[in-house]
Amino acid sequence: MLTRIWLTYKQHRFETIAIALVCLGLAAAALIEAYRLNSMNVPLKCLESWQGAYMVGPGQPPLDAATQRCNDMAQAFSNIKTGTDAGLVRMLLAFAPLLVGIVFGAPIVAREIETGTAPLSWALSGSRRRWLFSKVLAGVLLIVPLMLVVGLAADVFEAAQYPDLNVYASYIDYVSRGAILVFWALAAFAGTFALGTLLGRTMPALIVALVVCFFVRGSWEAGMNHFVLRPFAVQTSLEQSANYTPDSWYNDISLYQTVYMDGKPWDGDVNAWWMEHQQVQVSATPDASGFVPGGGEPVYVDPATNKPLAPSQVPTYVNFVIPGAWYWNVVVLESGLLLLGSLFCGVIAFVWVDRRRPY
Amino acid sequence: MALAGGASIGTAALVAHGLSKRFKKKVALDKVDLTVPAGSVTALVGPNGAGKTTLIRVCMAFERPNAGGVEVDGVDPWKHRSEALRRVGYVPQTPAVYRGLSVEEHLSMARSLHSGFDADYARRRLDQLGIPLDQRADTLSGGQAAQLGLAVALGTRARILLLDEPLANLDPLARREFIQVLLDAVKSDGSTALLSSHIVTDVEDACDRLAILGGGKVRLDCPLEEARQTHRLTEADSPPPGATAVGSFLGKGGKTVMTLWRLAPGDDPGSAPNSGPGETSEAASLEDVVLGYLAAGRGIGLQLN
Repeated sequence: MLTRIWLTYKQHRFETIAIALVCLGLAAAALIEAYRLNSMNVPLKCLESWQGAYMVGPGQPPLDAATQRCNDMAQAFSNIKTGTDAGLVRMLLAFAPLLVGIVFGAPIVAREIETGTAPLSWALSGSRRRWLFSKVLAGVLLIVPLMLVVGLAADVFEAAQYPDLNVYASYIDYVSRGAILVFWALAAFAGTFALGTLLGRTMPALIVALVVCFFVRGSWEAGMNHFVLRPFAVQTSLEQSANYTPDSWYNDISLYQTVYMDGKPWDGDVNAWWMEHQQVQVSATPDASGFVPGGGEPVYVDPATNKPLAPSQVPTYVNFVIPGAWYWNVVVLESGLLLLGSLFCGVIAFVWVDRRRPY
Repeated sequence: MALAGGASIGTAALVAHGLSKRFKKKVALDKVDLTVPAGSVTALVGPNGAGKTTLIRVCMAFERPNAGGVEVDGVDPWKHRSEALRRVGYVPQTPAVYRGLSVEEHLSMARSLHSGFDADYARRRLDQLGIPLDQRADTLSGGQAAQLGLAVALGTRARILLLDEPLANLDPLARREFIQVLLDAVKSDGSTALLSSHIVTDVEDACDRLAILGGGKVRLDCPLEEARQTHRLTEADSPPPGATAVGSFLGKGGKTVMTLWRLAPGDDPGSAPNSGPGETSEAASLEDVVLGYLAAGRGIGLQLN
């Protein structure tokens, strides 16, 4: 088996070397970007207080030196984070697993059929499935460790971009980093070698796989949110949501909102209800120019009695979210789905290789 | 039980019975009955598209027959592929080599795929031919690549060798070398070989048996010597006494129509042919025999029977 695995790498040496170089290069690039961000040692409070280049409005007094320094650091940090280099690394991290899987998967069976070596191997090996297994195993042994390295480097990069965030309790870029990258690559690999086995041609298999994989990747998060994660979502009240820091918003997957009244879903017209029940409170006196700065807390009253309503009788927006604390559950679930997809494609290939002609 | 060509089932290495194979509307093999006796070197001769490759592919379980079947050393390859392929060494039509692998790595791969592969044996054969084991396969000449394919097939130490037009792309010297290596191996191992070719002269000296395939049917299946002895050639279309006309075709030079006759079993070939004043028959070469049967199969030339 080891001989066959080694010979598979030699047989596909171009793909093997290219994949190794791309993965290691990408991991190195992600780590370098992370190092650049980390080495700036920007205090968290600077990142939190910095609100971009328009912090000081016209006519406002200049910032003090400490705040200015803080803002400069945050600006420099932001420049790296949103720069071309980091953007390129982020993009490659999202698509590298697919490319790796496709590039190694397309020729693994199809090229043998194209170049006429399949009859030689299939005549020697009584079991075509065993033959295919050794080739697939070679692919898996190449892809898994390399993508794991890339995934971990991507986590380090992510943590550097969001220093106040626990990357293992947040869904920011969660499909483009960590262990799930391994499963993306395996799914692309399995899908592509299955296509290669079915079509018997490398280039068509590669093109079809590119289209399918990129479509699946592009629609993955929306599809997962809509079909898979939705039943597991937990409700978060508006009040709870209001206490969230901007980062904690990032942590969750916000799936959908609905309106509750008296603790139950309510499908009435919220705007009409407000128009009818909201009483504008003018709690501040006009300023020198005559502008009334604010209206204070809204008060809701029963129009018939003009008595204030209890909070439970007021429609409330409720968010349904997948909490960031479920990160590992979600990653395991999605990785499992990708693995199932890989196994399904693998089964198709293993069944078909036994039935197809070797030319 | 007697089979086509006089072989008995107990000694048959390969048997096809009522074998039919269609590709959409094209009939590649039409109820083929063929027996390859154990220990023989059988030439499977026929023009391009005669069904030779299909027959061999069915034996390798690369194609599923539409009707009938084959038995390779008593095993149906479609039903028991592993068991059948363990008994067969196969040399494909075009030398199929892995471009990136060396000769030695081809042997390593064969050993990893086939538990009984004798790499030392294959290595010795290649050594004898002066083919460097560390040379990359894509830098081998056509003849060397064919020899590598043969060495891999021989290394399986299979009892049956199926060679699908291995000589087609080789120069005359490489052909001769290939045939010699094959014959040496068959002689020393006592194996059986079925060698397909559309060039009769290639296999004439190598084989002891001839099977002619034309239009998907077996036109003749008999020992080579019998094929030579029981066929005569005349210029005229009147049959020699006791002979059956096989087919007519244009002779060398393309001016005269030659007719191939098959003598009745037991006839003395030396006395049979003269049938009328001025008419003489001559011994048919193997090429004539093949041409006669192919002409009959294609329905070209004079159809006399």
